[in-house]
Amino acid sequence: MKKVILHCDLNCFYASVEMLYHPELRDVPMAIAGDPENRHGIILAKNVLAKRKGVKTAEAIFEARNKCPDLLIRTPDYDSYMYYSAKVRSLYYEYTDRVESFGPDECWLDITSSIRYFGSIKVIVEEILRRVREEIGLTLSIGVSSNKIWAKLGSDIASEDSYFVISRLEDIEGLPAGDLLNVGYHTYEKLKSYGLYTIGDIARSSPKYMKGILGKNGETLWYFANGYDLSEVKRYDDEDEVIKSIGNSTTTVRDVYDMDDLKLVLTVLSDSVASRIKDEGMFFKTVHLSLRDKNLNWRGVQTSLKENSDLARDIFDNAIILFMKNGFDFRVPYRSIGVSVSNLSYRKESSNIDLYGHADYSLKEKKKDLALEDIRRRFGYHSIGSLRVLEDEELSAFDPKSEHLTYPVSYFGR
Amino acid sequence: MKRKYVDVICLNDQAGNIKPLYLIWDNERKIPILKVKEICPRASLKVGGSGLRYTCLFDSNRIRHLYYDRGKWYVELNDNVL
Repeated sequence: MKKVILHCDLNCFYASVEMLYHPELRDVPMAIAGDPENRHGIILAKNVLAKRKGVKTAEAIFEARNKCPDLLIRTPDYDSYMYYSAKVRSLYYEYTDRVESFGPDECWLDITSSIRYFGSIKVIVEEILRRVREEIGLTLSIGVSSNKIWAKLGSDIASEDSYFVISRLEDIEGLPAGDLLNVGYHTYEKLKSYGLYTIGDIARSSPKYMKGILGKNGETLWYFANGYDLSEVKRYDDEDEVIKSIGNSTTTVRDVYDMDDLKLVLTVLSDSVASRIKDEGMFFKTVHLSLRDKNLNWRGVQTSLKENSDLARDIFDNAIILFMKNGFDFRVPYRSIGVSVSNLSYRKESSNIDLYGHADYSLKEKKKDLALEDIRRRFGYHSIGSLRVLEDEELSAFDPKSEHLTYPVSYFGR
Repeated sequence: MKRKYVDVICLNDQAGNIKPLYLIWDNERKIPILKVKEICPRASLKVGGSGLRYTCLFDSNRIRHLYYDRGKWYVELNDNVL
């Protein structure tokens, strides 16, 4: 039987929550932006009036102000956003137990087995729209389809407080390839250079051709474009069972211009990730590095270790290697840096025969990590650290472990 | 209209329900709530906010909505009411 999957996307989520408590904000162009002092001064969300003036998410406050001088800026209130995110999710659970969140404002719902109980897809979708509007005071866009990828496209097409059904490729083939999940700026540029402008273009090529262009990711995109995505919508109790990845990222107080800066930020991030992974008692095998440059182009790379580890040193070293090996450079300085680890397990693999004294090194590193952590726990985070971080205390003055926010793992991360 | 936060005296029963008994207006008037007619989750479109909406019957057949939102109570207040 064909599955029925909804993708529910809360419209301008952060801005809507603000407007819910301050109805007067509905009548003025308004945006939520990080603290400008801290240089997190980019637009996180905006209301419809601001959108009409051309204000875009992720642009700097001054850019937005250029387009819309009377733009009202508010600082984010994450507690409220998380509260409403959970509240909306608990409403979804009344319709199915298969609810998978993708960020605070998006969820997939597999309602295949609930249709008979409620009557029809239309009843469920319209009821969810109505209840979220009336009971919670927010609006949704819902995409309805047989797979997660098309459902997500559907919610992008659907206007505010409405839904859009995608049942055939013809419904979406004209959309730009960039709308497809996992097609970022770089991938889209590359696709265009091969003459693949629309989702239809990708769908009509072949998996082999796509693989030739983009490797494994390309093949996946072909499946995505055709809606051949069989991945399940996770059940809600699956959620906390397994941690799939642990990571930290930071928007630096100033742009990162050279290797010294990068090493400094990576030191802090690696320490924090290693400390969190030790808190969980886990080991990782894969290290990811993601960088967003000044133009907000994002790129992420990953590598796997020979043996799993829980050491800060291994995260740091591999992040640097990733940077060097993957053709990153500092032509455009970086604004945001992230490190994460995945491929987690609870057991340290019994190492191969230790010919080169690696075990000794690991033990020493681990002792160092633990001692570092113990001192931090007792005397505060900034009481001890690598000499490197003292070179620029401003740049390194963040404590990612206690400030961290959990972001959705990537689609492939699961 | 605007949102006015108010003090409320409640009964927390053994089943975990919260029943508002008195509304304290401006720290001086204690107004009894005769009956809670309906409880439902609702957003207040007039004054903003959302939570559990208690439709309450006060004396002389006056019905008012009391909203319970994350531990706080509020009413919708007309601007011309002092």
